Amino acid sequence: MLKAYLLVAAAVFSIGLFGVLTRRNAIGILLGIELMLNAVNINLVAFARYGGSMAGWVLALFTIAITVAEVAVGLAIVIVIFRVRRTVEADHLTLLRG
Amino acid sequence: MTETGLALAILAAPFGAALLLGCCPPIRRAGLPAAVVSLVGSGAALVMAVGLVSWLWRGALYAAEARVGPVYGLITGLIATVPWLPQTGAAPLATFGVFVDPLSAAMATLVALVAFLVQLYSLGYLAGEAPGALGRYYFYQSLFAFSMLGLVFAPDFLQMFIFWELVGLCSYLLIGFYYQRPAAAAAAVKAFWVTKLGDVGFMIGIVLLWGKTGTFEFLPLFRVAGQGALDAGYFALCMGLIYLGAIGKSAQFPLHVWLPDAMEGPTPVSALIHAATMVAAGVYLVARTYPLFLAVPDVLTGIAWIGAFTALLAATLALVQTDIKRVLAYSTVSQLGYMMAALGAGAPLAGFFHLVTHGFFKGLLFLAAGAVIHAVATNDMFQMGRLGGAMPKTATVFVVGALALAGIPPLSGFFSKEAVLAGVWRAGLSVPFLMLALTVLLTAFYMFRAIFLTFYGSRRAAGHPHDPPAVMLGPLWVLAFASVGASVLGTEWPRLTFAQFVARDLGASLPHGPGWLMPLSVGLAVAGILAAWAVYQREALSTAAVIAVLGPLVRAVERGYGFDAAYAAVYRAVLLGGARVVGWIDRYLVDGVVNVASAWTLRAGSGLRAIQTGRAQDYLYGVTAGLLLLLVIWAWA
Amino acid sequence: MTGEAIGLGAIAVVLLCSSLLVVLSKNLFHSVLWLAAALVATAGLFVLLHAEFLAAVQVLLYAGGVVTIVVFAIMLTERLAGQTIQQMNRGIAWGAVLAGAVFLGVGAVVVRAPTAPGRASAAFGNTAALGQALLTDWVLPFEVLGVLFVAALLGALYLARVDE
Repeated sequence: MLKAYLLVAAAVFSIGLFGVLTRRNAIGILLGIELMLNAVNINLVAFARYGGSMAGWVLALFTIAITVAEVAVGLAIVIVIFRVRRTVEADHLTLLRG
Repeated sequence: MTETGLALAILAAPFGAALLLGCCPPIRRAGLPAAVVSLVGSGAALVMAVGLVSWLWRGALYAAEARVGPVYGLITGLIATVPWLPQTGAAPLATFGVFVDPLSAAMATLVALVAFLVQLYSLGYLAGEAPGALGRYYFYQSLFAFSMLGLVFAPDFLQMFIFWELVGLCSYLLIGFYYQRPAAAAAAVKAFWVTKLGDVGFMIGIVLLWGKTGTFEFLPLFRVAGQGALDAGYFALCMGLIYLGAIGKSAQFPLHVWLPDAMEGPTPVSALIHAATMVAAGVYLVARTYPLFLAVPDVLTGIAWIGAFTALLAATLALVQTDIKRVLAYSTVSQLGYMMAALGAGAPLAGFFHLVTHGFFKGLLFLAAGAVIHAVATNDMFQMGRLGGAMPKTATVFVVGALALAGIPPLSGFFSKEAVLAGVWRAGLSVPFLMLALTVLLTAFYMFRAIFLTFYGSRRAAGHPHDPPAVMLGPLWVLAFASVGASVLGTEWPRLTFAQFVARDLGASLPHGPGWLMPLSVGLAVAGILAAWAVYQREALSTAAVIAVLGPLVRAVERGYGFDAAYAAVYRAVLLGGARVVGWIDRYLVDGVVNVASAWTLRAGSGLRAIQTGRAQDYLYGVTAGLLLLLVIWAWA
Repeated sequence: MTGEAIGLGAIAVVLLCSSLLVVLSKNLFHSVLWLAAALVATAGLFVLLHAEFLAAVQVLLYAGGVVTIVVFAIMLTERLAGQTIQQMNRGIAWGAVLAGAVFLGVGAVVVRAPTAPGRASAAFGNTAALGQALLTDWVLPFEVLGVLFVAALLGALYLARVDE
C-alpha cells in the first residue's frame, strides 16, 4: 500500500516538473512548483503512516507553512517584475545571460 | 721570507695598487695620484722580481755542478698553494698559489720591467688626457700587471686560465681606452672575440685533461705524462686544444687578425700588451707545460709549422703597411711565429730566449714609434720624413731596436734569432726553416723601409717635431741598453749562463747551428737592409714599377689576404643566419603554440557561453538531467 | 480490494487528472482552478492516511490561501483585459521526456526498494500528539518558522508596495 501512495506522489511530482519546465508564464511555473511540493507532502504523510513516526506529519505541516510563505514572496516578486518589465513571460527575463 | 713568499709579494704589489685605484674613486679621478700609486706598485714588483731572480740564481749557481740529466721527467719548483675548491676525500679541486722556478722568475722580471717602464712612459705620452681618464688608464695598467704576473706564477691550469681571461679583459679595456672612437671600440671587441675562440679550445682541453687525470696541477700532470700513462690520441687532442688557446692569444695563423686592429689603443699599451707580455703568454704557456707537449710530438710538429707559416705570412703583410704601428704589429705576429717554431722544433730554450729579447726590442720600437707619433700627430709613415735630424735621440734608439729585430750582431736579437734558426734546422724541419730564413730577409727589409720613410728620405714632415721629454726618453734608453745587454744572456761566458739557469727546466743549452748558419742569417739581414736603402732612400728602384710587376699579389697582400672579409662573412652567415632561424622559431613556433592555446581557450569559452541563456527553465533542465544521472548511478552502482 | 485501496484509486485518478490539467490548460485561471481541485484531492488522500488535521490544514491554507493569492497575482499581471491565452513553451517534447524519465527513475526506486513491514501504526491521527510534538521535539523549527513568516510577510509587503 505504501508503494501505491509513493507512486502517486511520484506521478504528481513528475507532472509538476513538466509544468515547471514547459510553462511560459511565470505564474504557471509557480503552479507547477506547487504541485511538486504537494507531492512531497503526500510522500511525507504516507511514510509517517506506514513507518510509525510523527516526523512525517510534522514535516508535512512545516512544508505547507513554508510553501505558503514562498508563494507569497514569489508572487510579490512576479508583481514587481511585471511593474518594471511589463511582462511575466519567462523567456523575456534573461538578464543573467552570459 | 721564502721564495714563494716573495713571489706572493710580487703578486700583491700591483694587486694592492689595482684594488686601491678600483675601490677609491677620489684617488682615481685625481689623475696623477693614481699614476703614482700604480708606479709604486709596479716598481715594487720589479724590485722584488729582480731580487727573486738573483736569489734563485745564487741557489742555482751553487747547485750548477749537480746538474740533472734528461730533465723533462722531473721539473722541480717551489709551490705554495691555498686550497680554493675543496673536495671530500681527495685533493682540492682547485688551488690558488704560486709556482716559483727559474722560468717563472725570469718571465716575471721581464713583465715587471716592461710594465714599469711603460707606466713611466705613459706619464709623458698621456699627459694631455683628462685626470679621470688618466686614473682609469693606470687602474687598468695595475690590473694588467697583476693579471699577467698571476698567469706567470700559476701552479695549475685552472689558475692560469683564470688569469688568462683576466689578461684578455685588460687587453679589451686598454685597446678600447679611447672608447668614444668607434674604431677603437670595434677593435677591442674584435680582439676579445678572436682570442675567445682560442680560449674555448683552451678550456675544453684542460677539462678533458682533468677528466682523464683528475687534476689541473702542473707537477702531477708532468709526472703522468712522463710515465706515459695517457692514451696518445686523447692526450694529443687535449694538448692540441690547449694550444688553440695559445694560437688565439699569441696571434698565430689563423687567429692573427686581431693584433693589427689592436693598435687602436694608446701606444704604450701596444708596447706592453701587444708586444712584450700578453701576446707572449701563449709562448709562455707552451714553455711552461713543455713536458706535456713532449709526450705528443705530432702536436709539436704542428706548432712548428704553424709558427713558421705565421712568421712568413705576417712579414709579407708588413711590407705594404703605411701605418707605422701596424708595421710593428705584423712584425710582432711574425716574431711570435719564430718563438712558436722554436718551441715546436724541440728548442724551447731558444723560443723563450727570443721571447725575452723580443720583449726588450719590440717594446723599445713601440715606445719610440709612440714618441714619433706624439711629435707629428699622425701614424702615417708617408706623412713623415727626415725626422732623424729633428729627433736624433729617438732615431738612435729606433735604429738600435730595428737592428736587434733584424738580427745584426752584437745585438741580442741576433743571438736569439740564430738560436731559433739553429733549433729548427737541428730538428730537421727543412720547409719551416726555409720559411723562417726568408722571413729574416723580409723582416730587415720592412723594418728599414719604416726607418727610411720615417727618419730619412726625401720628404719632410710638417710642423716642428722634437725629441720627447725625459720621462719618455728614460724608458727608451733603458730598453735600448737592455736590447744590447741581453746579448750577454746568449753567450757562454757568465759563470752560470742564462741557458743553464733556466735550462734546469727546459733544456741543456741554447742550440748551435751548423757553421754556415750565422753567415746566412746575417747576410740575409744585411741584404734586406740594403734593399730597403736602395728602394726608399736612394729610390733606385721605384715602388711603382715593382707594384706593376707583382700587381695582383700586392693587392692581395694589401687586403690582408682576405682573412678579415672571410671572418666577417662566416660571422654573418652563421651567427646572423642562426639568429634569424631562432627568431623564426620563436615567433612562429613558440609564440604560435601560445597563440593557438589562447585562441582555443577563447573559442571554447564562446562555445560554452551558449549554455548561459539566462532563462531559469533552461537551468532547471540541467538540474533535472543531473538528478537523472544520479539516479542512474545509484541504480547501477 | 480493501476500502482503502478503492478510495486511493479514485482519489488518485482525480488528483492526476486535475494535475495534468493544471499544467496543460491554456487559460491560466483555469489552471488555478484545477490546482484547487488537485489540492482538495490531496486533502482526501490525507484523510485516507488518517491525517485529518493535516487534511484540514491543507484545505484551509493551500486550497484557500494559496489559490487566492495566485488569483490576485494573475489579476495584477494581466497585460490586456481578456488576453488570457498563452501557449506552451517550446520544448514540450523534451520536457515530457525528462519528466517521464524522472517518473520512471523514481518509480523504479520505489518499486525495487525492499518492502518494509507496512503495518500501520495504531495511535495515529492524534492531533493532540501532533501539538505535543510541535512544542517539545520540534519547538526549535517551530520558532524558526515563526521568524520565517515574519520575514516572508515583510518581504512580500516591501516588494509589492507601490513606489512613491
